[in-house]
Amino acid sequence: MKNVIELQGLTKDYGDGRGIFDLNMTIGEGEMMGYVGTNGSGKTTTIRNIMGFLKPTSGCAKVNGLTAWEHSSEYIKNIGYVAGEIAFPDLKTGTEFLKSQAAFLGLKDMSYADELVQRLQLDPSASLKRMSKGMKQKTALVAALMADPAIIILDEPTTGLDPLMRDSFLEIIKEEHQKGKTIFMSSHMFNELETTCDRVAMISNGHIIDIADIEKIHKRPVKEFKIEFMTEADYKRFKNGRYNITRDQAQYNQLTVGVTREELPQMLKDLTGFEIKFISEVVYDLERHFNEIIAQQKESKENVQ
Amino acid sequence: MDSKIIEVSDLTKDYGFGRGVFDVSFHVGKGEVFGFLGPNGAGKSTTIRHLMGFSKPDSGNTKVFGKETFSNYHQILQNVGYIPGEIALPAGLTGHEFLRMMMDMQHCKDDSHLKKLLDIFELDPSGETKRMSLGVKRKLAVVTAFMNDPDVLIMDEPTSGLDPEMQQRFIDYVKEEKSRGKTILLSSHIFSEVDATCDRIAIIKDGRIVSDFVADDLKHATRKEYEVTFDDSDSYRSFQEFAKGCDYLEIIDSNDSKNRLRLVTDDKYINQVVGALAQYKITGLHHRKETLEDYFMSYYKEDKEYGGAFAG
Repeated sequence: MKNVIELQGLTKDYGDGRGIFDLNMTIGEGEMMGYVGTNGSGKTTTIRNIMGFLKPTSGCAKVNGLTAWEHSSEYIKNIGYVAGEIAFPDLKTGTEFLKSQAAFLGLKDMSYADELVQRLQLDPSASLKRMSKGMKQKTALVAALMADPAIIILDEPTTGLDPLMRDSFLEIIKEEHQKGKTIFMSSHMFNELETTCDRVAMISNGHIIDIADIEKIHKRPVKEFKIEFMTEADYKRFKNGRYNITRDQAQYNQLTVGVTREELPQMLKDLTGFEIKFISEVVYDLERHFNEIIAQQKESKENVQ
Repeated sequence: MDSKIIEVSDLTKDYGFGRGVFDVSFHVGKGEVFGFLGPNGAGKSTTIRHLMGFSKPDSGNTKVFGKETFSNYHQILQNVGYIPGEIALPAGLTGHEFLRMMMDMQHCKDDSHLKKLLDIFELDPSGETKRMSLGVKRKLAVVTAFMNDPDVLIMDEPTSGLDPEMQQRFIDYVKEEKSRGKTILLSSHIFSEVDATCDRIAIIKDGRIVSDFVADDLKHATRKEYEVTFDDSDSYRSFQEFAKGCDYLEIIDSNDSKNRLRLVTDDKYINQVVGALAQYKITGLHHRKETLEDYFMSYYKEDKEYGGAFAG
């Protein structure tokens, strides 16, 4: 697989420990990489380096083998980019803005733009100044995707979108992914990265601390179930049984149990002998995965000290 | 609860082309947290901006503490903590300088709340506002709204752009403020946040209030939805057959390619459901919590047609 986006020791040091430090990552052609991290951890700084807006202190970001700071003008038109904070040029309407973007990109055929406008339920004839945050976001998305670019870079694109808009937006991104586009997207919503990305990188205080493979996270052999019992007696009886209890919340008569695929039917059979109030799988998801990594890091730091 | 702190009465602001808000009415009582939901562009921010006195109604009125807001906006600004939906900070200031400026404007003398808030939201305001990321700016806005310990808070998508940890701290802080008797209007797209904090909820769509209800009614529903995944298509199909003749559960959705079903039942039948499922080879059993979200989604659905990119 060809590497489309590469970070090689990318460092941008703003002093006082702020910035990004020695980032390494490759995103292959057709791959969708997610990017999470707390506020101020360096997501936008990374993206702005890839776009060639910032000069790295050391190391580099590359797109199609070209270093970003020196050569971004050669590839910038092939990237559909939505900035985290959208500032439109001083134009009257969304339509005018889309037209000016199309002219800049040399785009003649607006049929895909029209389709996107329909699907995102955007009224581009509205005044850019008067547009609500969601409308601005949608206008920026249409501008980014309408020329069918091979690379898509999105900085928290769903922030401020209502849930339905977020869904239709994610549908569009999934389709772009299926078309073979290379996509890099940051977000605070673990669930939206989990359902769209192949891999997700996590940045913390300017350092990439993990790159997770989504498929591996979903295919774990042991599943956990949280069960709440009607009575304390049943709770105790189950607790003393043969199952592997991973969490015990006596005050609610709740137990969390780890079982393999093979053990699950037997556990359900056993449960018929108990009065239960509630049962649900505790899904091992991306959020938990990263929480565990952060916890491990804290622990190892404490051990060092 | 009866004293109305925030009142919106027949508020209409017509921007033409069907845009704006029309005959919007609701009130928020003392000590109440009121959730204000709706799709993008439905009129949430327009309503809130009228409440802050930034915009003059075409008809109807908005009041805070019984005072009409447009003509008393300077008093409103002093007594109401406000988080705008979009944050524009003055240029050339550090976060510290901005906070000091806002403290002067709010006639805030005591910085004990400020210190506590900077700590809770892990905000270091020493940097220049220009350099701040969206999330850090959002933290600054949250701190600014709360630092004078106002009795009323009006917040327009306050956590949009905050990371999950900070969202949780925000929710905890709002709950604490609520227990201290604050009156709060909260507009949000994040259901968990509304679910965790609000007493009453109104939904606005196309500039009109379409639903107004007490949040607890929804929370205490005993109807539960489960998602069940089967090991193979045989058990998947035979369970479906079984469910047809079953009076304590109902299948509401099925996904043949994943051998997955969604079923609803009532709390009191859960033992029977588990007993029934034990007879089949299942690999996943998942309780779906998003009842509030599902409920709202029905209001979010849009049917409008828009012109293309070159229309107008």
